[in-house]
Amino acid sequence: MPRIQDIGSFNAVREAGLAKLLPSIPRITVGMGTCGRGNGAEEVYHALNEAIQRGGLDVLLAGVGCFGACFQEPLVAVRLPGAPLVILKRVQAHDAARILEGVSTAVMPPDLIDCKIEEWDHITGTLRYGQGYPEIATWNTLPFFKGQKKIVLRNCGLINPSDIEEYIAVGGYQALYKVLIDARPESVIEQIKASRLRGRGGAGFLTGNKWDFLAKAKAEPKYIICNADEGDPGAYMNRNEIEGDPHALLEGMIIGAYVTGASEGIIYVRAEYPLAVRRLNRAIEQAREYGLLGTNILDRGFNFNIEMVQGAGAFVCGEETALIASLEGFAGRPRPRPPYPAQKGLYGKPTDINNVETWYNIAPIVTRGAGWFAETGSVKSPGTKVFSLVGKVTNTGLVEMPLGTPLKSFIYDIGEGAPNGRHVKAVQTGGPSGGCIPVEMLDTPVDYESLAQLGSIMGSGGMVVMDEDNCMVDVARYFVEFTHSESCGK
Amino acid sequence: MPRATLNTAQAVLDDRERLMIDQAVARYAGRPGSLLAVLEAVQEANTHKYLSMEALRYIARETGEPPARIYSAATFYALFGLDPQGDNVVAVCRGTACHTRGSRDLLDKLCLDLGLSDREPDENSEADKLALTTADRRFTVRTVACFGQCALAPVVEVNHHILSHVNERSLQREIQSLEQGRK
Repeated sequence: MPRIQDIGSFNAVREAGLAKLLPSIPRITVGMGTCGRGNGAEEVYHALNEAIQRGGLDVLLAGVGCFGACFQEPLVAVRLPGAPLVILKRVQAHDAARILEGVSTAVMPPDLIDCKIEEWDHITGTLRYGQGYPEIATWNTLPFFKGQKKIVLRNCGLINPSDIEEYIAVGGYQALYKVLIDARPESVIEQIKASRLRGRGGAGFLTGNKWDFLAKAKAEPKYIICNADEGDPGAYMNRNEIEGDPHALLEGMIIGAYVTGASEGIIYVRAEYPLAVRRLNRAIEQAREYGLLGTNILDRGFNFNIEMVQGAGAFVCGEETALIASLEGFAGRPRPRPPYPAQKGLYGKPTDINNVETWYNIAPIVTRGAGWFAETGSVKSPGTKVFSLVGKVTNTGLVEMPLGTPLKSFIYDIGEGAPNGRHVKAVQTGGPSGGCIPVEMLDTPVDYESLAQLGSIMGSGGMVVMDEDNCMVDVARYFVEFTHSESCGK
Repeated sequence: MPRATLNTAQAVLDDRERLMIDQAVARYAGRPGSLLAVLEAVQEANTHKYLSMEALRYIARETGEPPARIYSAATFYALFGLDPQGDNVVAVCRGTACHTRGSRDLLDKLCLDLGLSDREPDENSEADKLALTTADRRFTVRTVACFGQCALAPVVEVNHHILSHVNERSLQREIQSLEQGRK
């Protein structure tokens, strides 16, 4: 495999990736995230693959991550040369023949069609699929997608997560390249500070300030950690982000390491996410092969390693000091702060811990600038946040909205209310440390301060809708049981 | 969760298991999270997917850590079991989305069907974190805090395969086919 050492070899990889994303032959992709698989995506993939082989068809077939509309899985996307990407919903294995017939006649089975994408803003780059199909709705005119702004999920469901070339084709690793060429780490930290990006794990601390602490700490080695121990029940944003676009996480971490002077990176991921673990392992391997991770990254003399550690089913390990204790080989019990990890973290060395989603925002901010980032969201909470909209709601899935969007937009516009004509009673945000927000308060904007004011929290992004059949006493009992059994014993 | 006591698992480690532990300890030595990785590898390699007391003692010896520390970690994390698992492992998700869609009833019904309903009274208070194995060792029922499969709630994992939108009937059918099937 080619090690990328200059702009020439970088562009060669990019061209190779583009030839797969926008090939001169038809391309079919199947959403192969865990939610797709849970609904039969593997069977769909195999049926398509078999039919393509049997017919000797000149069609490119690939697996991608989840596009967010989990309630319509399995999702299949078809793109003919020069034409828009057409997304098909609730596809089953027996639909394979019909889809391939649609590929040859350029008319997709109408009952499967969900929407089309003519061009896509990958934030780090733009992909133009093609114009056409006036009869098919554009993706962001559908209720579930209307108003969504995909910055974190910019690549999820559109590129093959197991192929680094496709990530590079949509502008991936360009931000890293720029940062290494500019060689002005302090200006990157200033940029992250100016963007006012806040930690997406829930606490909402300013990421730029955290990085600044680590950069100023004098010690060898320094660690950065990605907290992928997504433990809040009802939340699965991080799982999908990693399954759908693992390289964006690596790129964020490599940039973070360079500008803070860290030489070791660790991704602490839940053992309950085996597919995310596999995809991440593959991505780490590929990044090493291509010279983007390890020694002498991009031939700029920078060394950085990432190791992955699997958790073992302890909710409390999502707390940063408990996570560190767990990495050190102890039971995952939190330790008092101060000292903060930035002063004394893993093995007593300065350590920066950020949530998965925080890392996904780094390359976009570096590429498009702090001003661009702050255009979205509210003044105190700029940017977007991914939420898992689940429970008693018609459209379940992953939703990325500007911060400050009122709760009711999530529940009624995107989620289209409770199923079966029932009435929504409340929405639970923030996991076990959060709270249930009653239906009368759904005007509340979703940002760190507003939810805290109600006595809940935004947390990592779980949003569990409850309807009139759910008993709030029972829900309270559920959370008491949960926190009791997941207590660290302190 | 039932805990194995020091005298329930006195089986001596065989050479294969000892070699396996040696390799795991060597592979992860000095790396962050090494103890978790070793325990995960050893449990996964065990035929009955558990950590025997002998294995824990041997890990302590090979890593040079006090046995108490190894035992502390092995009993802290939900993923580790100190008792042999059944041939079939059924894991019911107890995440919030699954709860709102009836996973507690699924769990109760499953335990009832498999004759695991006579849980000891004090275990009821920990209904959300359990691992029970049938007397014939054919089935283990356990709970998981959340699989992160919330859009497909309620979900149940049967032998590492996720079933989505599960109801009592579909789960019963799945269990029946396992009962009639191999083993």
